[in-house]
Amino acid sequence: MQVKRATIHSYWLMLIATVITVGIVTSSQLITHRIELLLERQASELLAADMVILSSSEFSAEYREQARLHGLQISESVSLRSAIFLDGSPRLVELKAVDKAYPLRGKLERAGEMTGTRTVTNEIPLPGEVWVDTKLAQLVGGNLSLGEKDFDTRWLLTYEPDRGGAIFNLAPRVLMNLDDLPATGLVIPGSRVRHSMMFAGEAADVTRFKIWLTINLKPGEEIQDLENARPEMRQALERTRKFFALAIVLTLVIAMAAIAITARYTASREASKVAMLRAFGISQSSLFKYYLRQLGMLWLAATIIGVLLGWVTQFPLQWALDGWFGKTLPQVDGLGPYLTAALVGLLALAGFSLPYLLNATTTPPMQVLRAAMNRRSWRRGLLISGSAIVAIFLVLVMLMQSSVLAVATLALVLVCALILPLILGWMVKLLLLSSRRRFWLRQYLLSRLQATSRGAIYVMSGFSLVLIAILLIAVVKDELIGEWEIQLPQNIPNYFLINIRGEDIREIEKFLRQRQIEASTPYALVRARMSQINSVDVDKIGFSDPRASHSVTHTFNITYADELPDQNQIVDGKWLNEAGSGAEVSVEQGLAQQLDLKLGDELTMTVGSQILQVEVSSIRSVVWENFKPNFYLIANADLLESYPQTWLLSARIREQHKADLKQLMKRYPAVTLLDISELMARVRSIVDRASVALQFFFLFALASAVIVLLAAIQTGKQEREIESSLLRALGAGTRQLYRVHVLEYTLMGALIGFFSACFASLAGWVISVYFFNIEFHLSPTVWIYSLISASLVLTLAGTFVSRRVYNISPMKILRS
Amino acid sequence: MAEDNLCIELKQVGKTVDTPDGKLDILANISLDVKYQEAVVIKGASGSGKTTLLGLMAGLDQASSGDVTLFGQNLFGKNEEQRSAMRAGKVGFVFQSFHLVQGASAVQNVMLPLELSGVGDALQLAQTSLQQVGLEHKSDTLVEHLSGGEQQRVAIARAYAIRPKLLFADEPTGNLDATTGRQIADLLFHLRDQSGTTLVLVTHEAELLERGDRQILIESGGLLS
Repeated sequence: MQVKRATIHSYWLMLIATVITVGIVTSSQLITHRIELLLERQASELLAADMVILSSSEFSAEYREQARLHGLQISESVSLRSAIFLDGSPRLVELKAVDKAYPLRGKLERAGEMTGTRTVTNEIPLPGEVWVDTKLAQLVGGNLSLGEKDFDTRWLLTYEPDRGGAIFNLAPRVLMNLDDLPATGLVIPGSRVRHSMMFAGEAADVTRFKIWLTINLKPGEEIQDLENARPEMRQALERTRKFFALAIVLTLVIAMAAIAITARYTASREASKVAMLRAFGISQSSLFKYYLRQLGMLWLAATIIGVLLGWVTQFPLQWALDGWFGKTLPQVDGLGPYLTAALVGLLALAGFSLPYLLNATTTPPMQVLRAAMNRRSWRRGLLISGSAIVAIFLVLVMLMQSSVLAVATLALVLVCALILPLILGWMVKLLLLSSRRRFWLRQYLLSRLQATSRGAIYVMSGFSLVLIAILLIAVVKDELIGEWEIQLPQNIPNYFLINIRGEDIREIEKFLRQRQIEASTPYALVRARMSQINSVDVDKIGFSDPRASHSVTHTFNITYADELPDQNQIVDGKWLNEAGSGAEVSVEQGLAQQLDLKLGDELTMTVGSQILQVEVSSIRSVVWENFKPNFYLIANADLLESYPQTWLLSARIREQHKADLKQLMKRYPAVTLLDISELMARVRSIVDRASVALQFFFLFALASAVIVLLAAIQTGKQEREIESSLLRALGAGTRQLYRVHVLEYTLMGALIGFFSACFASLAGWVISVYFFNIEFHLSPTVWIYSLISASLVLTLAGTFVSRRVYNISPMKILRS
Repeated sequence: MAEDNLCIELKQVGKTVDTPDGKLDILANISLDVKYQEAVVIKGASGSGKTTLLGLMAGLDQASSGDVTLFGQNLFGKNEEQRSAMRAGKVGFVFQSFHLVQGASAVQNVMLPLELSGVGDALQLAQTSLQQVGLEHKSDTLVEHLSGGEQQRVAIARAYAIRPKLLFADEPTGNLDATTGRQIADLLFHLRDQSGTTLVLVTHEAELLERGDRQILIESGGLLS
């Protein structure tokens, strides 16, 4: 019974470390999956659905039936342009007729008058009623004739989720009930209308339906989903997703480092007991079975507690996030997350602790007589490292489904785990060489760190790994948010002025300049379709990327420019020939990848009835999230100047200039003003929300760090007591003992902090540049935080936990 | 009033400890004197209380009753800090388990007590001391790489390096084989003869008993002679 109690006592740190690992996995499986679903749904709101098909003619009834069979919700709408009379003049409006199910994602928002309160609504216009754009505010409360039917104009439409979809084609919106559309007589054979069929449902169902749809899509029909509809949203989501994955992997690495360190500590404590038992004739296999049973019990206990912990911790986070998101997180069904967590716990525990315990069971019985016999062979070292590597790899592959980021993180962790002890060991050796004339106090401290019996170097390496992981989460998070801040500066444009006629552009620029309204460079838009690539019809090309066939059916807005637009970067080739002699085009990197385009490829474009042939002269990266005018294709000015075109520019219009807008609209009625602040705020909120959710994982990371810290302090505690007792016997005073311990922990902390900052900066650079495609800035704060936090935490915790050492009786040295 | 030529003086000293079964007297009514430059060997069986007696004489522990006088100063009422200051630079120790600082070289181990008591040229003195124990060629070797006998030599060099007035040796040959143990005992007494240091040696080996100026036998917490 006594032995059992002692065993449980030595295992408690290991148990807590495993509980935290299981807890992290449970929680991350439950929460991050739910947040991801929510983030995707948020993004879906910008389409008002998860997927949309567009066509100029009515859809086959088969789509509706198939969508139902796939368990999806369906909504249909019809958009067309029509003219209304406003103040006696005709005005073009974008009419949209929707059914009751609209919108499938997101909500409509309306107000009774221009200055009235905006309210979110589940309703759509009643039959006989229309809701109008804020630009048509003067119509509210009156009547509006659309074709052959009169409507009551009851509400101002203040927000419509999918409004930004056709960003350059917006006239003021008029929303009506789909049932009223036939009565208007506006839709007749040959009318230019756009039919939309929207779908929403579980991600897997949507994907399955999309596959079916892709095969059955008819000519002239186009699929829009998040992948191809909103590049800025896709980029934001992709980064957020990667960031979550990275944070979870790093938190797990910390937890697993905690298991490894506590297992090492437990095994070292068990060694003398094992030696004694082996001396009494207990076989190695019996001992191994005994420890296997112990581990099994520990895993079972850790799984039960960890799963419960993970399950419980999702609630406060959900509560916090519900408030933040303003809606309930979608539910995750099934036992999957719990089973995954249990399996990860088993893998981590087995991978990290079995070799140590195996090592303990092979302790030679001679150790009972001579402690020095316990020297590990390189084979055992290899077994310990190999087993840990396999465990980490299996866990990462299981959780990350073999993503490149997971493999890269593993490589990073391995490099750190293997290199850190070596570097720390060399560093201590180097410092030891620096001065040999005095031993006390610096050399004495370094000797203590170097002594293999204390395992200080391994503990420091483990602690460094933990700190590196914590710093990495912070560094990458800061870089990501920092990148957003750079991309979204204070003077970010909040309006797009589109449909500007060529003859008006200079005047409009002057108008804005006179009122000190900041505006972007104006860009011409020439609408074109891609018909051939290298003289092969695009519909005959078998693209490797499934999105490509949709992209080529798009109408591209090609612009021309002499200079590379802001935040565009040439990644291959050269910017357009400044002499303007060639027929060249610069292609956006993503589009080039989709269409397998390379330098020198020839594109045949159709502009109206004319054919245009251009050669790809450069591939360009574009920061889509910056909300500046961005283009897939940019050609030479000489080439496009003569084609029919409209112009656009973006502007930052402050509150005090809103009145000037009315004047502008009056003077240039053809110009459409597009408010993008709402869209911008939504995109921006994704990263903000993700970072809030990540703070939560920091708690797990910190809990694991505390376990590592406790294990680090516990390891060598006995040696520390004996050394203090020796120093006492040799005449050292309390102050000297105190200085030894404070300085030892501070030195450990400083070394840990220094190397952690080095590795975190290096890894931060690799991850930022290669996985997030963002510029990395070496942050001095990482160094300051790392050095101060490691030194301070280790010194305070170590001094507190070791406080008995200062009053240790020198008699201990005689009794030890 | 303690006599001037007494290094250690114990009067009616007792040591009682609390155990789960009640109070246990480890030592009772011990009275003994140790003169300067004397070599006293204390012998007793395991559990007889000899290590406790050594601890009380060195001021490592406090007596439950009676008076302990070290270097003419009564230890009664002195706290750990004050007793430690009394030992600094004056008292050396040689332990059964050597108790060297792992990760440090032989010379660094010898330098440790010198530097703790603020001696100036610790390195020079330590090297001289290592020379005296025949280990000058291993002065830069990490102590964990030395044999048991060599480690005990380092411990002896460390003890003598501070030129102690008083040296306590607790079973100094207990962890060594017979031949090495004999060599270590020779070295210990040889250096003591050279330096005139007062030596208090605790052992249960009969061979060492005869080498002291005086023998004290202890049994069940009391002195027999």
